[in-house]
Amino acid sequence: MTKISEMPAVGRSFISDLKLPSFEYLAWTPPVPAQSRRVSIVSTAAVSRRGEKPFSWLAKDHRSFHKNDRDLVMTHVAVEFDRSAWQQDLNVIIPLDRLEEMAESGEIGSVADEHYSFMGAADPVTMEKSARTVADQMKHEGVNTVFLIPI
Amino acid sequence: MCGLAHYFESEGLSTVLVGFVREHMEAIKPARGLFLDFPMGRGMGKPNDPEFQKKVIRGAFDLFKSERGPVLADFPETIPVRNGRMSYALPPELVLKTSDIGDVDVLVAEVQAEIDALLPDYEAAVSSRGRTTVGASELAIHTFAPFISEFIRGEIPKSPRKGVPAIPLLKLVVEDLEAYYTETRTHRDGIDDLELMGKWFWEETNAGRLLLSLEAVSIASDNKVMLQIVEMSLMAPRFWSEGPLPGTSAAGW
Repeated sequence: MTKISEMPAVGRSFISDLKLPSFEYLAWTPPVPAQSRRVSIVSTAAVSRRGEKPFSWLAKDHRSFHKNDRDLVMTHVAVEFDRSAWQQDLNVIIPLDRLEEMAESGEIGSVADEHYSFMGAADPVTMEKSARTVADQMKHEGVNTVFLIPI
Repeated sequence: MCGLAHYFESEGLSTVLVGFVREHMEAIKPARGLFLDFPMGRGMGKPNDPEFQKKVIRGAFDLFKSERGPVLADFPETIPVRNGRMSYALPPELVLKTSDIGDVDVLVAEVQAEIDALLPDYEAAVSSRGRTTVGASELAIHTFAPFISEFIRGEIPKSPRKGVPAIPLLKLVVEDLEAYYTETRTHRDGIDDLELMGKWFWEETNAGRLLLSLEAVSIASDNKVMLQIVEMSLMAPRFWSEGPLPGTSAAGW
């Protein structure tokens, strides 16, 4: 396992010093049965549809994209993660095709129409309002399950 | 990511996340988390490997079987990283000074020739994949190097894109330039190796030299944002280096 203490100096210092959010209670929603799951992806890769306004460097807002959208670009401020993987295959960060296959085979119920992206470099506490707006949109669409994937 | 999960869960949505930094997952305690010992940028592990990707998803979704939480589990397979770094990093000694830059026009011409030579393979890659990630800047490919060169000459040009200031646009152009190169080579040579791609682009191409020249100018710049970009490793990949970029304090971090 790659521990923070084993990371090189600059990254180790940054990650060690990050102020982490803390919550007074554990939020817990009992899951629905697998075959009833309607799944939406939330990515912190700061991806958006080509032509949309780029994310600002510490963006509190979000973008949404349809499950059939594949023409996505990334405007994440950081460069400390590998970008060559998603260039080869979108599914390695946003596995829409895999979820569709799992829905077809009955492992899950369905894939949501809309999926969401945030700027992972920003403090999540500043994103709360946007996250709750997204939650409302998800519930309106019948989503009951959220799969969160970092970059 | 863990914080977002808390908000969704509190809205009555069941969540599961995957993550790369186990200590953070332990500290924030999302309802359900699957730790991945993978390089960052590869949440589903391996591009173009549907079975591996589904193993990761199933590993995450298995956590919905727990009746109480928080649940934190480890994905059983590892994708090794080199020396604890989660992606490619420039060698600390590979730093240009402004006196190393030479004739900017010549350098731009060399980059343009390189771009031209790669174009047939880039177009083949786009055709095969049905998509490209190049274009976040919305500038045309043949304008990337000339736009970057204006900054190397010490100028802050007017942004050609409405609503996006010149320096944020510069960052997107830099990322587009790198994506153009790496999309081309990963397809042309059938390779998936983040270390090899980083080494090739940053250490061996003229485009890499153009960007290291930009970094050299930025270190010496009296523009705070340009300096911040290099101090915070937001352009050249130095985040995983052993020590800050010479000439900076890394105080931005």
